[in-house]
Amino acid sequence: MTVTQLTLASDAATPHIEVPFHLIITAHVRQRVAELDNLDLPILAELELLGSERTTVASRSGSTYRETITVVAHHSGAITIAPVTLDAVDARDGKAKRYFSNSLTIQVAGPGAAIVAADDAWQGMRALAEALLRLLVIVIGIVGVVFLIVALIRRRPSPPVPVVTLAPAKPIARDPKVALQEALETLRRERTRAGAMRARSIVRRMVGASDAETLADVLQRPLAADPSLRDLLRALERAGFTYDADLNVAVAAAIAQLERMTR
Amino acid sequence: MSTIGSGPAIVTRALQRTIVGQEGVIEGLLLGLLCSGHVLLEGPPGLAKTLACRSLADALHGEFKRIQFTPDLLPSDIVGTRIFDQRESAFTTVRGPIFANVVLADEINRAPAKVQSALLEAMQERQVTIGPQTHPLPDPFIVMATMNPLDSEGTYALPVAQMDRFLLKVDVGYPSRNDELAILERFAIADAPVVGPVATLDQVREWRAQAHSVHLDDALKRYIVELVVITREAQHPTIDYGASPRATLAIANLARAKALLEQRDYAVPDDVRSVAPLALRHRIGFNFRVTAEGGPSRVLEQLIAKVPTP
Repeated sequence: MTVTQLTLASDAATPHIEVPFHLIITAHVRQRVAELDNLDLPILAELELLGSERTTVASRSGSTYRETITVVAHHSGAITIAPVTLDAVDARDGKAKRYFSNSLTIQVAGPGAAIVAADDAWQGMRALAEALLRLLVIVIGIVGVVFLIVALIRRRPSPPVPVVTLAPAKPIARDPKVALQEALETLRRERTRAGAMRARSIVRRMVGASDAETLADVLQRPLAADPSLRDLLRALERAGFTYDADLNVAVAAAIAQLERMTR
Repeated sequence: MSTIGSGPAIVTRALQRTIVGQEGVIEGLLLGLLCSGHVLLEGPPGLAKTLACRSLADALHGEFKRIQFTPDLLPSDIVGTRIFDQRESAFTTVRGPIFANVVLADEINRAPAKVQSALLEAMQERQVTIGPQTHPLPDPFIVMATMNPLDSEGTYALPVAQMDRFLLKVDVGYPSRNDELAILERFAIADAPVVGPVATLDQVREWRAQAHSVHLDDALKRYIVELVVITREAQHPTIDYGASPRATLAIANLARAKALLEQRDYAVPDDVRSVAPLALRHRIGFNFRVTAEGGPSRVLEQLIAKVPTP
């Protein structure tokens, strides 16, 4: 149960001796309940109890319990009424707690005597602090629920990552001689790393491979079974990734291999 | 550098004379050696993990120490301690087994966290402090730790930060039928052949310098970064957190070492792709869903396949 309000008040501004008046206990809980158990009323030793009436109203926001106690004072002076207590299990943390209302001091005097609401300054500050605390808990709760929903949505398993399997490429219809000649001309024209990569790409397409495959993948292709072609693929790999000082030698080696194959 | 990589190849051949199959283990140990990195071997018992480590130390003519990790092990059992010499009326330092070139931390997850930390601090700093004195560890210094994935009772899982200190992790699998037959023929009636020294520690230092100078093209550097970043940004349902920048450095170093093992002085995309799982698998936080997706190796394979090679 989540108790959000528990108050004790009087309806009479100026109670007189021997004139009945009402003490009103109001409690509000967030849950929908038929009645409130474990509500302890204070001992009204200096007042005569004439009767009481209880109502519980359930609404969308919870349940409001209201008990009206009819009392009468037989002598003048200050009468202090202790707080009402309510024992309940807090739904927010599952712990048993005791809730207190405010206390009430009634000044019953002769003609003109007034009821003085007994909430002293400290009680007022305490009530304000409790209200702020309740507001804070509500805000944190709402933020927490929103965060939880977002986290659950984000953690929902996404569909499994598709396995990238390279479909066996169809052999290129071009004559390998033409492709090799093109690679040779490319490399002769541009004896740089970029040129080597272009020639590498041409030869790879010739065997049905893509640029996204590693040399080990390419060498597994049936069209790359020829030993001289394998040497060429290795030479182009070297030209593509070797260090700058070795680049000229590597490109020359690739050109020499291409020349042997196109002869 | 016409004969580049021929030295490490000699060690590989020496190990292959003792270890049947397990090319991945042998290559992992060599990569760790060439990168000055530490190696974590995970596999069931009886797969020659310890034999491989011991054989590597023998092949290098280096000092080998084995530490069997147990729940009652103390940090001082590893790094050493100071004892009071009554004759001299002074404290003297007794060095622990960590002072060796090749240290085998057998079943590293059987010791509690403070012992693991003592070892892993030495791995990171390459020095240990005993009392008021700091002692540098020998060079080369490589830790090979083993873990058994089948038995989790009485073990202490390595924290993420400590796993990150291992340069690579090798998953040791069962041998093939042919390899098992070869094991039967080779070891059924005799002990494993002893590996004689085939290289000196100075040569190892020279190989490491060679590995360090292997050319890594800018396109490959970008490829490495993409491989690491995809583990963080793929939003894969089986991954809680991706690999750290230390993984980026590890892949780069391992790719260089792999190129050296292939007797090249430049790295190619194949080098990067083949070493990436070794550096990434133990640095990614996989969750329980990974089992349903075929295991960490399978998921990692999928992620790596998504990154276009240069």
